Amino acid sequence: MKIRFKVLHWILLLAIVLLIFRHDVIFRYYALWFGFIELIFTDISAACEIFNLKLADVILSGIFIIVLPILFFLCRNRWKILKSRLNFSDALLLLLVWILLFAPIITSENPEFSKNLSVTKLLSPLSTVKFVNLASKESDPVTEKEKFVRQLNKTIKLPYNERIVFADSIMVSENIIVYQKGNIIELQMEDLQLKDSKPAIYNKFFLLGTDEYGRDNFARLIYGTRISLFVGFGAVAVSFFIGVVLGFLAGYRGGIFDTALNRFAELFLSFPVIYLIVLILALFGSSLFSVIIVLGISGWMTLFKIVRGEVVSLKQKDFFISAELLRLKKSQLLTKEILPVMLGPVVVNLVLLFSNVILAEAALSYLGLGTGNLYPSWGAMINSGQEYIYKAWWMIVFPGAALILTLFTVNSYGRRVGKVINPRLEG
Amino acid sequence: MEIAIKNKTVKISPPATVQTGKVLLKRFFSSILTLFLLVSLLFILIRLSPGDPTQKFVSAQLSPELSQKIAEKFLLNEPLLEQYYAFLSNVIKGDLGISYNYKLPVLRVVWDYFSFTLVFALLSICLQLIFSFLLAIFVSQRKNKVLSWGISNLALFVYSIPAFVLGVLLIYLFSVTIDVFPISGLNSLNYDSLSFGGKILDQLWHLILPLITLSAAGTAMFYKYIKEGIDNVRNQTYILNLKASGLKEKVILKKHVIPNAASPLISVAGIELGVLLGGALITEVIFSLPGMGRLTVDSILSRDYPLIIGCVLTAGVVMILTNFLADIIKIKFDKRLFKGLLN
Repeated sequence: MKIRFKVLHWILLLAIVLLIFRHDVIFRYYALWFGFIELIFTDISAACEIFNLKLADVILSGIFIIVLPILFFLCRNRWKILKSRLNFSDALLLLLVWILLFAPIITSENPEFSKNLSVTKLLSPLSTVKFVNLASKESDPVTEKEKFVRQLNKTIKLPYNERIVFADSIMVSENIIVYQKGNIIELQMEDLQLKDSKPAIYNKFFLLGTDEYGRDNFARLIYGTRISLFVGFGAVAVSFFIGVVLGFLAGYRGGIFDTALNRFAELFLSFPVIYLIVLILALFGSSLFSVIIVLGISGWMTLFKIVRGEVVSLKQKDFFISAELLRLKKSQLLTKEILPVMLGPVVVNLVLLFSNVILAEAALSYLGLGTGNLYPSWGAMINSGQEYIYKAWWMIVFPGAALILTLFTVNSYGRRVGKVINPRLEG
Repeated sequence: MEIAIKNKTVKISPPATVQTGKVLLKRFFSSILTLFLLVSLLFILIRLSPGDPTQKFVSAQLSPELSQKIAEKFLLNEPLLEQYYAFLSNVIKGDLGISYNYKLPVLRVVWDYFSFTLVFALLSICLQLIFSFLLAIFVSQRKNKVLSWGISNLALFVYSIPAFVLGVLLIYLFSVTIDVFPISGLNSLNYDSLSFGGKILDQLWHLILPLITLSAAGTAMFYKYIKEGIDNVRNQTYILNLKASGLKEKVILKKHVIPNAASPLISVAGIELGVLLGGALITEVIFSLPGMGRLTVDSILSRDYPLIIGCVLTAGVVMILTNFLADIIKIKFDKRLFKGLLN
């Protein structure tokens, strides 16, 4: 009997990988989760003070683990989806969604963590580094808030941890001597975290190596996926909103408003927009949200043209006129009468836009105009990899492969959606 | 033209050749309008952007009096409309000012870099068209479903590779691991001592990796268009008629299918050429080639305002010009397109 891979198998594989390799992280996150709820009931002001995006991220991923399977099993045609054959692009799409939702579980590292550059920089993939932990000198926590902060700092890694000391080699005699490149550190026994009255020496494993600042390539890749997809969704949403609303208004009203907007759309279409994007970002500064908004604004033209053309023809149809006579509001006309009719071409366009936006974001961060240094981004990773091309191939190959596979997935989805809508096209 | 038929006058629309001028004139004016809007947009963007142009022009440690003098010369104290008017008239006269970095007239700097981009873009578009055509014909001649499926998926994959990833990977493969091609630049170190033919060969040698980088995605895109066109035309009834008449498959493909399939390609090729001539932004940055794309990025990053305007304007003019030319060629190919262009 021939075994065929189905979507079910792939989802199970992803779930099992997460549960087996990351069960400790998941338990820690749930502990944090309960700690936070406890803190809300005991000291709400402290909870508000501590709450940040990182914590929200961890809490959300904890919720997703429980809620997503339940939601999925409430879905009506779940077995049809689960038993369909697994295609390459489906597998990649599921993988991307998996990374998007569970990024903090997949890697508990902080993508910006760097320490002891001389030891950790430009390590090749699958390498391990020894490190020792200095004993904490903090006093025992008293209040609920301090307890929670202690727990938080243990679970969610910070970009800098003064207690970790990486080493090329460690000599243990009366004192502990830590050898680093060009540096020797002598530590007393009582400075260190001990295990059975011996100094505890840990190993840190870098799956995909490290970059020039000793940051974990794997963690950066995972969080870079998030940034790319986030920028993609955000910019597509902005384009969708602008394109559909303007297209509807232009098609519905007509007149000079219509003509002016059409001219404007043609201006943008007949010009390499990437220049204007680079210009705007360079002149006014680039951050995550400015990138999303500028990319979103630069992609509204084709959507506008599609929607406007359809609205002009739909305006004459009986169903639309009757809806108008029922005195529906304009927003209702748009969402209830127009959008469902032309969902097909709009969706195809949105998918294409999504791949364009991801590509543009990566290209912008490659040029140094992307989401800034606050977030790891594939384009920026490739840019810094190019400087170290003689020493560190892993800095360009992995983000490059991630980018290519993501774009391939999105593009092949665009083609598939196009085929469903326009079945006459072959190939 | 009016013809009397049985006491009735019937109006006959003038022949197509008369309309050509009208269509082209209309296209021309719409192009001019687009350019005008582009210039206005540039003006607004640059005026809105933070930073003092006078300090940037000379030096940040400019004395206030001198800065005042330069500001007067730049008309920075005049009302905005006056500035806009001066800006427009200067652009129309072809006076784009003096580049801050190069201390040369912008047009001269742009021209220096544009000549490289011209050669680069033309080479690239030739490569793209030739390879995609050959591949599409090769696949269409063999009616092999697996081959067709494989190549079209491969094309989608190649199309999905961003230029900078492909460029960096190519550098890694061919310049770092096996030292075959140069890593960047246009000339070797011993360039000056080479003979004329040697110089050209040397430059071509440096251009191989950039050309592959620039052409890969375009080739995949053109392949998709040609293949779809060929498949579409093959399903038409007149091809069936030709087959029934007993023509050979090869003759049908070469004489009837491909010419018909190629006509939508022209507008796509026009747009692609326009984009390429505007400067291959990323490719030129990766391989540090002296072209418009790199000039644009450099000027934007160093806030060389006159040069930014010059570069973006050149890209716009070139883009609009190539679209215009593509439309003319399309009309030559297919007379039915008049009406479409008129709207």
